Amino acid sequence: MSGSNRLAGLTARPKGTSPEEVRRIDDVGEARGFVDRSPRKKPGRKPSPRTYQLHPKVFPRVGEAIASEAERLGITQGQLIEEMWVTYQKTL
Amino acid sequence: MPVIVMASPKGGVGKSTCAVLLASEFARMGADVTALDCDPNKSLTRWASHGLPKGVTLHSEVGRSDIVTIIKNADGDGKIVIVDLEGVASQLVSRAISQADLVIVPMQPTALDAEIGSEALALVREEEEALSRTIRHAVVLTKTSAAIKSRVQKELENQLRGAGIDMIEPSLVARAAFSELFAYGGDLTSMLNNPEIVTGGKVDNALLNATAFTEAVYERLK
Repeated sequence: MSGSNRLAGLTARPKGTSPEEVRRIDDVGEARGFVDRSPRKKPGRKPSPRTYQLHPKVFPRVGEAIASEAERLGITQGQLIEEMWVTYQKTL
Repeated sequence: MPVIVMASPKGGVGKSTCAVLLASEFARMGADVTALDCDPNKSLTRWASHGLPKGVTLHSEVGRSDIVTIIKNADGDGKIVIVDLEGVASQLVSRAISQADLVIVPMQPTALDAEIGSEALALVREEEEALSRTIRHAVVLTKTSAAIKSRVQKELENQLRGAGIDMIEPSLVARAAFSELFAYGGDLTSMLNNPEIVTGGKVDNALLNATAFTEAVYERLK
């Protein structure tokens, strides 16, 4: 079996792809037990990538200082720590 | 060019094997083949991870919400779309069947496979009515014996033919090379020509079987 010329005779045929036709097919399938079995997604908002906790054991005064500085700059504490890390790395 | 869908609500009947053999053999004939892996077991994706034959493109993790659009985009002149479905009764299956030019229902020659596989055949007929178009469908027996045709197989073939079901001949024989395609990737020709690949069976016989099967499928697409 060889020769792509044989395959050239096979042409694409139109099929029903409108939402109405898909709904009709879903109804036919459901009546025979072919139901939606796609895995359900976990409900709720996805966690922010910034929620990773670095270390909870800092002195309260340090934590408060970071919080107030972040508030003054209009950024999150995580963003402030990221900036501090960049600054620290430049000193190395 | 045609959309060929492998469908059976039963798992382990040989849907993925049929899909891989058709994809690789049609590609060998010079077709531009798009294979869609809709099976959560990702058999086609595993096969592809070891190397796809030239001319085959794979879409993995195709789900219920995008199956119609992906088939529509992949379908076109000069292309063959092969869809490997999950072995359950799902909306994904019914949607894929609605886009088919040919539905192949693989089944092993057992009463259980025939009973569960007949659900797919019944669904095809109901979709034909709903869409007012003919969807060609056929059964292929899989994992059959190369040496003898069992009494159960003969009875099953007679029953299916008696019910007006189109039976693809030849059946797909239980060949080690078919299952080992998933471990080595590529196609049977590359397996045959690579001396480093050691299989538990005769690759040349497997290739003959796959070629004859693909030829029989091709005859149904004309």
